[in-house]
Amino acid sequence: MTAPHADQLIDGYLARIQAAAGDLPAGARNELLDDMRSHIAEARSREQEETDAMILNILDRLGEPAVVVTEARERLGILPSALYRPGLLEIAAVFLVVLIWPIGVVLLWISPAWNGRDKLIGSLAPLGGYIGLYAAAVVATHTRGCGQIIDQAGHVLRNTCTGASDVPGILSALLTIVIFGLPLFGMLYLAIRLPLSRQRQLAAA
Amino acid sequence: MPADGLVSQMRRGALEYCVMALIVKTPRYAYELIEALGKTGLLTTEGTLYPLLSRLRRDGLVKTDWRESTDGPPRRYYELTAEGRRALTAFKNEWTGFRGAVDKILQEGKTS
Repeated sequence: MTAPHADQLIDGYLARIQAAAGDLPAGARNELLDDMRSHIAEARSREQEETDAMILNILDRLGEPAVVVTEARERLGILPSALYRPGLLEIAAVFLVVLIWPIGVVLLWISPAWNGRDKLIGSLAPLGGYIGLYAAAVVATHTRGCGQIIDQAGHVLRNTCTGASDVPGILSALLTIVIFGLPLFGMLYLAIRLPLSRQRQLAAA
Repeated sequence: MPADGLVSQMRRGALEYCVMALIVKTPRYAYELIEALGKTGLLTTEGTLYPLLSRLRRDGLVKTDWRESTDGPPRRYYELTAEGRRALTAFKNEWTGFRGAVDKILQEGKTS
């Protein structure tokens, strides 16, 4: 064995494929990586003696990671985000995801400007706000509920009215954060990810 | 060279049918396909074959299965589906007509 750097070379190549394929769907990216691994294993098994130069030749013939990933993108019909300019669709998606969640989410997932993870965070954060609003309503009705304990003669023994002031301060503070904070976070996150993802793509290209 | 883009597009388009033609009789694994295509000069960057194969599989034109091998690691074999056969036959017909038409005009241009 005279290939002391074989694993290092191969891992480096696969890492470059993975980085270049950052905007591919996870399934397609993993399949590509699996194919590359199988190919390298097959090519290595065909050589009598393994050397670093032989590994380098295998990787050279496989091709530049950017070229292979570009091919994958084209065969899958994915528009590279580097060439995609965010526009009205993205602006509408960012606002509607907070104001009219179902419509905003549809626009968000239509847009190619964000990757899957960004879309998931952008969809769930404002939804958390809605859930918080619902939780606040439930808490309010529960704590404001009134009841009376009446004895057999009809005398009111005790009022069981409770007021909104009984909602613990921490809970209401938490709910405020959830209701206003999460949608705001979702909006800001999506807005920030727009230019960032473009730069990342340009850097990778 | 202005024809560069066109030729590479044509080669790219024809390549998927060449791959299908290579597995029309017997299933083969990717490395075999690369060896066969490498001799023809149709495939210069070996890694680009894999996205093509994924695409064919997604489109239901080929199906795959992993098989153990005695002389190497497990191999994923690619086999043409019935739909793949239909697509290949349709391409062959188109291609023959196209090639004939272009050849005819190119020949006429030469002799006139």
